[in-house]
Amino acid sequence: MGKISMAYIHEGEWPPGTVDIHIVKKSLRKAVSVAILLLPFACIFLSFREISATLILWRLLLSGHFVILLLLLWNPVHKESVVIMPAFGVQLETYYASGRIIRRFIPAGEILKPVLLECVTPVTCYWSLSLLVRGKEELVLVFKELRPPMKMLLPVWKALCASMENKESAVTSGEVEGG
Amino acid sequence: MTGGLKVYYVPWRPFLMQNTFPTFYGTFPIIRTILLREKISLVHGHQAFSTLCHETLMHSRTMGYKVVFTDHSLYGFADAGSIHMNKVLQFTLADVTRAICVSHTSKENTVLRSGLPPEKVFVIPNAVDTAMFKPAQVRLGRDEIVIVVISRLVYRKGADLLVEVIPEVCRLYPNLEMRNCQFSCFFTSYQQGYEMVRFFCYLCPLVRYSAMRVRFIVGGDGPKRVRLEEMREKHSLQDRVEMLGAVPHASVRSVLISGHIFLNSSLTEAFCIAILEAASCGLLTVSTRVGGVPEAYDMIVLAEPDPCDMVHAIRKAISILPNIDPQVMHDRMKNLYNWNDVAKRTEIVYNRALKCSDQSLLERLSRYLSCGAWAGKLFCLVMIIDFLIWRLLELLQPAKDIEEVPDVALPCNQRGERIEEIFHWKTE
Repeated sequence: MGKISMAYIHEGEWPPGTVDIHIVKKSLRKAVSVAILLLPFACIFLSFREISATLILWRLLLSGHFVILLLLLWNPVHKESVVIMPAFGVQLETYYASGRIIRRFIPAGEILKPVLLECVTPVTCYWSLSLLVRGKEELVLVFKELRPPMKMLLPVWKALCASMENKESAVTSGEVEGG
Repeated sequence: MTGGLKVYYVPWRPFLMQNTFPTFYGTFPIIRTILLREKISLVHGHQAFSTLCHETLMHSRTMGYKVVFTDHSLYGFADAGSIHMNKVLQFTLADVTRAICVSHTSKENTVLRSGLPPEKVFVIPNAVDTAMFKPAQVRLGRDEIVIVVISRLVYRKGADLLVEVIPEVCRLYPNLEMRNCQFSCFFTSYQQGYEMVRFFCYLCPLVRYSAMRVRFIVGGDGPKRVRLEEMREKHSLQDRVEMLGAVPHASVRSVLISGHIFLNSSLTEAFCIAILEAASCGLLTVSTRVGGVPEAYDMIVLAEPDPCDMVHAIRKAISILPNIDPQVMHDRMKNLYNWNDVAKRTEIVYNRALKCSDQSLLERLSRYLSCGAWAGKLFCLVMIIDFLIWRLLELLQPAKDIEEVPDVALPCNQRGERIEEIFHWKTE
C-alpha cells in the first residue's frame, strides 16, 4: 500500500513476539526529478564568462550557485521506521539519502499514550502520530520528517496501543504474583 | 466531523482587530484542504469585517460551492472606511448564493451597500439563551433603582452619550436623606409659618419623586472608559457609578440581575442581543432608537440618541417600573426568541441555496463586471487569478490525494448523555 511517493512496510516480529517494525519509505524520484529540472538553469548561468558584480548577483539570486548550493544542502529523507520492543520501548529512526541515520529511543515506562492528531498549518492540514511522553510538555512525533497518510499511520498506532496494553497487563500480573 | 461540530484554528496571525492580514490568495491552500477533507457541501461566512470570511467565500465560489453570508452590523455610506468596506462587500456578495441579515433594517442596509437583490436576502434575528439568562429568584427592592450598562465602551456604542446622561440622571435623583430628616422650624409669625407650610406642600411631591436613589453599574471596557472615569471624578459620583471593567460573558447574567433597568446607548445597532439578554433577565430596557433595536420587542422605552431624550426616557422607565414583572418579561422572551427556531430558519436558507443551479466561470464573471466601471474589471481579474491558482493547486495536490476525515459518532451512555472525550489521556 502507499501514496504515489510513499510506501508502508511492516517487517513483522523478529524473533517472533519481541520486536515489531513499521517502515514508511519515501520515493526519491520527485527529489531527483526536481534536481534534474533545476540543473540546466544552473548550467546556463555558470556558462557566462563575463564577471561583473551585477551578473554575479543575478546568478546568485536567480539560479546558478544558489541551485547548486541548494542541491548540496538539501538532504531528503529516504525512510522513517518505528521499532516497537514491548518490553523495552520504542525506537524511532530517520534515514537520510546521504546515509545519515538519526535514532531516538523512548523507554516503555515513559510512554503514556500514542495519539493520532490532526495538525493544522497555515497552508495545509494532515494527520500525525505522536507519543505523549511522561515529563515532556511537547508531544513526540513518531514520523518527524515524513507525513504518511492515515491508512499508514493507523496500523502503527494500533501496534503502539497493543504494546502499551501488553505492558500494562504484564505490570498487573507482576503485581498480582508479587502480592 | 465529531458530533456535527469541529473547529479548525487556522494559524494565521491576526494583525488588526482580530482579523487576519488580507492576502487574497494566501488562505486558498488551507481552505481548499479543509473543504475537501471534511466533505463540505455549503460554506457560511459571517461578518463584513472579517478578511478570512471574504477570502473563504471567494475561494469557495471558485471551487463551485454554494455560499451563504450573514451580516451582523450596520455600516454607513459616507466615511472613507465605509466606502471601502462597502466595495469589498459588493465584491463578496456579487456572487453569493444567499444572504442572511439579523433585522429588516439590516437587510435594507445590506441591500443598499452591496447591490444584492432583496429576494436573495433572508431576515433571521438572533435569539437569546433564556435558560441561561433568568431573572433573579429574589426580586430587588425598589428603594434603590439600579441602572445597568454593559457594552464595549467605544464610540459606536454611545459611550459619549453615557458621559452626558449619567450625571444628569444622578442630579435628578439625588441621594436625598429627606425621608429620614426631621425639620424643626421656629416661626416668628403666623404668616411666616403659613408661607413655609405652603412651600413644603409644594416641595413634598418633588421630594417624594426624587427620594428614589438611582445608581449605575457600568460593565465593559474600551477606549472611552477613561471619559467615564473622568465624569465620575468630576461629578463625585464614585458611590453612585460602579465601573466593573470587562465582564466575562459567563458573568453577564449576575451583573444584569443586580439591576432594574438596562440602558443601551448605541449609536448604531443591527440587532442588539444585549437587550434580549437584559429582557430575559427581567430588566426594563431603555435604548436609543437606532437600527434594528425597535424590531427586538415592544417593551423597550426608546429614545433618540440625544442626552435630553435619553434622560426623559430613563425617567419614564423609572415611573413604569412598578408595573414590570421580571418573570412575565422572561417568559415573553422565551416565547419570542429561540435558537432552535433560528436553526430551522437557517436550514431553510441552506436548502434554498443548495437548490440553486451551478454556474460556470463566465456566468459568474458577468456579475462582477456590474460592480463598477473599474472595480468590475478588477474584480474579474481577481477571480480569474483565483481560478488559475485553484487549477494549479489541483495539479500540485489533486483532490483525490487529500484524505477525507471519517465522521466520528460520539458514544452515548444508557441515560443518553453524550460522552465527550474519545481519546482520554492516561493520568498518573
